[in-house]
Amino acid sequence: MAADPINGSPAGAGAIGNASGGIKPASGADKADGSFEALLDETIGKVASLQKETEKAIAEITGGGGDIVEAMVAMQKADLSFQVMVEVRNKLVSAYEEIMRMQV
Amino acid sequence: MNILKAFDVSASALVAQKRRMNTIASNMANINTTRTPEGGPYRRRDVVFSSFVLDEEGRLEGVGVSEVVKSDKPPKAVYDPAHPDADENGYVLMPNINLIEEMVNMMMATRVYEANVNAFNITKSMYLKALELGR
Repeated sequence: MAADPINGSPAGAGAIGNASGGIKPASGADKADGSFEALLDETIGKVASLQKETEKAIAEITGGGGDIVEAMVAMQKADLSFQVMVEVRNKLVSAYEEIMRMQV
Repeated sequence: MNILKAFDVSASALVAQKRRMNTIASNMANINTTRTPEGGPYRRRDVVFSSFVLDEEGRLEGVGVSEVVKSDKPPKAVYDPAHPDADENGYVLMPNINLIEEMVNMMMATRVYEANVNAFNITKSMYLKALELGR
């Protein structure tokens, strides 16, 4: 099913799928050499750390201390980076689906 | 992520204006205060802003409050012999705070705060627009 020449793309999509619990592509293709996969992993890690920061800031506010501005800024940062990540994921998945639809 | 640094500029302005607002509130609250821990009437506070470099290249500069200074203006002497802090001539030293001046400063702080919130939001919507490229 997953032909060799398109190894890179499904592997990348696999990384996203695993992280967000979304679409899982064909399983045979997840051991590409994967610099792209590493990049995605790193991006997702950054997004996750921003979300953790937000969580901490919100917890501080509800705990009585903390700064509202700080929390809101952290929230917005997490929101923006998440949307960027989702956009990249959508693009990848649509590219993957495009390839899967290809007539052989 | 470098994009997110632009948010820090607006955020630093929000924090700085908030501190300015705090000093204004303190000034207005203490407009009649004749007793302070350091002695004498309350002296008006004012903030001093200073910029600081946010990124490595020095292109982004945030703003912070570097210090809160006390005014050197002499206190007003008000004739009120019944006041417990009056001197032998019946004069009480009152803080030299002009309520109108404080109100104007407060409006300025509010407007600047709002402007920076808008700058923040517009920065964000600009970056979000970039995601629509080629859609």
